[in-house]
Amino acid sequence: MSTFIKDFIERETVNRRNFLLATAAGMGAMAVPFAFGGGAARAAISDPAIAWSYRDRASAYWNSVVSGGEAFVESLGKSKDSLVSLINEGSSEKSLADIKAFLAKTGGKCAIACDANDSPNARPVVEAVRDAGAYISTIWNKTDDLHPWDIGDNYVSHMTWSDEKPAEQTARILFDAMGGKGGVVHLGGIAANNPAIERLNGLKNALKDFPDIQLLDAQPADWDTTKGTELMASFLTRFGDKITGVHCANDNIAYGVIEALRAEGIENMPIVAYDGNPEAVKLVMDGKLLATVFTNPHWGGGITAALAYYAATGAFKPSEEPKEHREFYGPTVLVTKKDAADFKAKYLDAVPSYNWKDFWGPSNGQIKYK
Amino acid sequence: MPRILTRENAIRWAPFMVLLALIVLFTAINPSFLSQRNFARIAIAAAPALMVAVGVTFIIVMGSIDLSMEGVVSLTAVLFCFLMLALGGTLASGGWVAIPVILAVGAAIGLVNGFIHVKLKIPSFMASLALGFVGTGAAILLTGGDIVKFNDPTFRALLTWRILGFPLMVYVAGLCLVLAWFIQSHTRLGRYFYAVGGGEELAHASGVRVQHVRMAGFSLAGFFYAIAAILQVAKLGQAESVTGSNFMFMSITSVVVGGVALWGGIGGVWNTLVGVLIVAVINNGMVVIGLPDFLQAAVLGLLVIIAVILSTDRRAVAFVK
Repeated sequence: MSTFIKDFIERETVNRRNFLLATAAGMGAMAVPFAFGGGAARAAISDPAIAWSYRDRASAYWNSVVSGGEAFVESLGKSKDSLVSLINEGSSEKSLADIKAFLAKTGGKCAIACDANDSPNARPVVEAVRDAGAYISTIWNKTDDLHPWDIGDNYVSHMTWSDEKPAEQTARILFDAMGGKGGVVHLGGIAANNPAIERLNGLKNALKDFPDIQLLDAQPADWDTTKGTELMASFLTRFGDKITGVHCANDNIAYGVIEALRAEGIENMPIVAYDGNPEAVKLVMDGKLLATVFTNPHWGGGITAALAYYAATGAFKPSEEPKEHREFYGPTVLVTKKDAADFKAKYLDAVPSYNWKDFWGPSNGQIKYK
Repeated sequence: MPRILTRENAIRWAPFMVLLALIVLFTAINPSFLSQRNFARIAIAAAPALMVAVGVTFIIVMGSIDLSMEGVVSLTAVLFCFLMLALGGTLASGGWVAIPVILAVGAAIGLVNGFIHVKLKIPSFMASLALGFVGTGAAILLTGGDIVKFNDPTFRALLTWRILGFPLMVYVAGLCLVLAWFIQSHTRLGRYFYAVGGGEELAHASGVRVQHVRMAGFSLAGFFYAIAAILQVAKLGQAESVTGSNFMFMSITSVVVGGVALWGGIGGVWNTLVGVLIVAVINNGMVVIGLPDFLQAAVLGLLVIIAVILSTDRRAVAFVK
């Protein structure tokens, strides 16, 4: 039996080697005609098609990202409709399939901005783009071992946001408002989400410098307003007057917390939030929230498309850029009462017009891995 | 003297006993659970959910199912806010007109739901689920994914104005519950629901116009979903395309835990009230006793199974599908 298996494996191995050799020979022969004409011109695509691949249109966040992408294509003198939306609806399979379809349709003459939906999906996506000779820039999701400089010029850049430091800043603002003592509760996002973990870590970092402040409890409210109210009501039963400050993982939760407190007639509880949504900024101006954090999704949406586009046209060569221009953090803007009015005027009342060739101006340094 | 401790009585009162046992359990672990202020918090959490659950109770009593509640609540909540703002933004300035309009819209959506189910002969499960998605989609379309804030202080008195320690919305929900009980027990329509749920062919043979009863039932459910939407806006001061999320699980679980049989004909709105309170007490109590968050979902699931075991007469049915 064992000899049979051994023979079989040997035969199959030889066959595969022959097959590979034959394939390589074939490929080589195919490459010859291109060796003189096509090769050099491949680096520059004169008018690449532009696409944004993202999750859904039902959220203010992604709507803002897409508005940035549209602002960028308009800066090229094209119509808004020339930005192709590839909506993955939370499915990594659909994300990859849509991108492959777009690559096939454009024959690789395209620039793609993309959130790969989850981290493991980023590698097949960027490899498909590289194999087609197109260009891609990604945001949010990629594994720590995947780097643009390992893939080549076709993987232009990756941007993400680090929430730990800003969440620590909001916590410090909260603790100062609490007079450096008392009890704080944290209402978090979906427990396994990376931003939820980072935002809680930020709170814990700030706690180290405030020994008289106790973290009473941290529970997930799933980024949701209704869950936020109900969790806050339960916290009030459990801790009562011991709660003197509330740290929320996002604005939506904070809206719920404010309503739970309103029902109890509690008016001036110090609360901080995250995301910088227009309603939250208004609450900061009204003094109902102490602070929130804005990540400028409009700029993120435009600049990600711009990076892929200008690398495709050959306006710059990614491999000649330093690493902090290939993997970097996006901007975070802390919004507090004293700057909320300015912030609203600058970012919300009228969308600022950005220079889409200033790729790294507002960015926040090279990504660090733990 | 009639015997009190019969098997039938035990099953009838089992959901209520489960509720009492939970209150005793949570109070034993953290005495602050048993306070008027906490009961008011539980009541606020339960009021909109109760309206959704009462609506779906009629459908389940008929032996059908309605899964459109999340979409209908989101859509009616968003429409309610837009209409209120269009009518001047306050109850006093003519915004009150929005209330009957939205209740009518809810009933109309329910009627469409019933029509699709009955006339196009699509199972209620599928018809209502699909219509729910349409509702959520319409809410996204209307809001563009944004939040609609609505903060008229007169309207928000539903949350902020308290009588005997409980907010006004709790009494409104209570009144609507009494209305539902009246429909269930003192109208012909209510009796027809039970007739259809107990045996559709028999009801048909007895001259009940089953199709009409079904459509009326779905319309009534839609009406109650719209009440839930208005209470939810009163509770949160805002509406968005996800305002209705979580109501599907919450309401169906409550109805079943309260002792309404999914195969139809058994139970009623009082069972639903107890079921909603059980689920709300569990949700509140788990945080109050400080249960770690990673255990909460599992404990909720286990408690639901235990409550269903105790509160339904499974010997009375030949099989469960």
